[in-house]
Amino acid sequence: MNKLTLKLSVTAMVGGLLCVSLAQMLSPTAKAQSVAIIQQPNLESAHDDAAILRWTTTTPRGSAEHFAVVQYGTNPNALTQTAKSHVRINSGHSDTIFRVRIDGLQPQTTYYYKVTSTGGDGTSDGVESDVNQFTTPPPGQRIMNYPQPK
Amino acid sequence: MPYAGFNGPIPSVNLTMVAYPGSYHYRAGKRTAQRYTYSPYFPVLSYDTTQGAFFGGNFWDGRSTGYLLQSPDAEQAQHPPVDTQEMANPDTACIAYKLSVAKYRPLFEAIWGAGSLDIQFPADTADICKTPAGAAIFGGNATPIALSPDDRTKANDVFNHWGQSISFLEHSTDISPFTSKIDANLKGNYTYTADEAAGAALFRGKGNCNSCHLDGTTTTLTPGQTDTGTPANTTPLFTGFCYADLGLPLNPRDAFYYQTVPDGLGFTPNPYGFGYRDLGLGTFLRSGFGAAPNPNSEWVQFAPGSDGLMQTSTIRNVAMTPPQCPTTEAPGPYFQKEFFHNGYIKSLKQLVHFYNTRDVYPFNVTSGHCPEGTTEKVDCWPMPEVPGNMDMTIGNLLMTDEEENQVVAILQAATDGFTTPYPFSDTFTGQCLTGGSASTQGNETLIATPELPPCASAVCDVPPLPSPPIP
Repeated sequence: MNKLTLKLSVTAMVGGLLCVSLAQMLSPTAKAQSVAIIQQPNLESAHDDAAILRWTTTTPRGSAEHFAVVQYGTNPNALTQTAKSHVRINSGHSDTIFRVRIDGLQPQTTYYYKVTSTGGDGTSDGVESDVNQFTTPPPGQRIMNYPQPK
Repeated sequence: MPYAGFNGPIPSVNLTMVAYPGSYHYRAGKRTAQRYTYSPYFPVLSYDTTQGAFFGGNFWDGRSTGYLLQSPDAEQAQHPPVDTQEMANPDTACIAYKLSVAKYRPLFEAIWGAGSLDIQFPADTADICKTPAGAAIFGGNATPIALSPDDRTKANDVFNHWGQSISFLEHSTDISPFTSKIDANLKGNYTYTADEAAGAALFRGKGNCNSCHLDGTTTTLTPGQTDTGTPANTTPLFTGFCYADLGLPLNPRDAFYYQTVPDGLGFTPNPYGFGYRDLGLGTFLRSGFGAAPNPNSEWVQFAPGSDGLMQTSTIRNVAMTPPQCPTTEAPGPYFQKEFFHNGYIKSLKQLVHFYNTRDVYPFNVTSGHCPEGTTEKVDCWPMPEVPGNMDMTIGNLLMTDEEENQVVAILQAATDGFTTPYPFSDTFTGQCLTGGSASTQGNETLIATPELPPCASAVCDVPPLPSPPIP
């Protein structure tokens, strides 16, 4: 094989690989027309300074990259703080568990919150929970509402 | 080496110092060797504005973008020869020089053209190329070989063609052959064992591995259903080429933390010691300490959202071991491997258990300081090194112990060599290990993380600043 032929082969091969690869990573899943919360958000676990909230929606599809978002605060009428966490959508699943981690909390404090989710580009999934609440435990204690099965 | 699926080939290194020794004494890298089987299939690094995420590239931090050669793998091949802590050639032209005096020069010229290695190298070239990169004598000069402009261009072409040649090899069936049990199953020539079948279902179901390690299917079966469909992709690569911060603890065993004083040539690999934090893709996007230059200035803005993100590896050959040590898992006889970018995880059981329970057993401690009454990696996971962008898809998957083992079974089924022997996989001359349990494998080598100083300004004070700040 001469140099030119090899280069052309390489170009064709790399081009072909890119097509396969892009098709594979950008699965054509249309964004769901509507998204519904099918398990309301609740506290998965908490320490004195951190908490994880968990809820389930119908799968939004669209972008694989998603964010679980929570707006929270100690005043139910002023949810001024926001935390968000990366979540990957599996478009083959009928529903999706969203989980968000909140750091920097105070112990033995009641927080009010509502949750939503967005695509990787920040576009809202169009679903939002009612305002709910949780209370962090005292220093040194933990809350675990979803223990590990045996 | 082939017998390790082109992961780190030395069990004692995998068990202890994590990063591999370079060619200059006492220098070592900073991360585990990422498997390069199937790496030619990775696309050029790009930012997808719809997904809001990066895809493609090679290396844990994506720094081998493929921008120049349109092949991340070919550019990946170019890094180790000139990496200060690996082969440490001080000038890329050293590659052209060494090829020009190699026995296989005619082979290179047969492919890349007669005369392609006809370069007028100065008389001191051999001496320069014998001096490791980073030596103070070079004064930071990355092109110490004095070449004419024309010869420098030719040497650059040789370096690029050499990288492409390596990539062609890695694309061949010697390296990336699609000969695993999974491939045989996709063709209908192999029926999974009960554990493998359960593991495959967990992989794309409860375990949600398939959301990043794409297996080419999207079918999720309900109980009692039978999958009679045709796989969407019969050569899945088990990666979305994407990036994630899994929340791994800092591994104080990593040799990089200890290379803090000038070596015999006046080079200091890591002046910041334990002030170093591995921000992965984030540091690369800032063209930061220890990373290659980011070729696209428009990407810099995405650095804070990329801190701590590492590339999602293919699961293919994650479990490959030498034939005489047929597993990665204690009690064995087993071949000790290391997993993830910092080698903190020492068995596939631990790997799956981490995904499953990271948020079930979190403790606000560093590695080596789990509370009395707990066991690190079993019911104690130390705090993440980079917490801000942690992926919450995983962390509490509610899988049972048996289900974890079933996921391990399907990971093992992704090892090449089932339908056709894997080439050159029988060259391991060391000893297999035996005894213990996969859950605590390697725990005897844990050391206490020293009190961590704040993140060094050269890592964490480079704009755009990490948000939230890195502790």
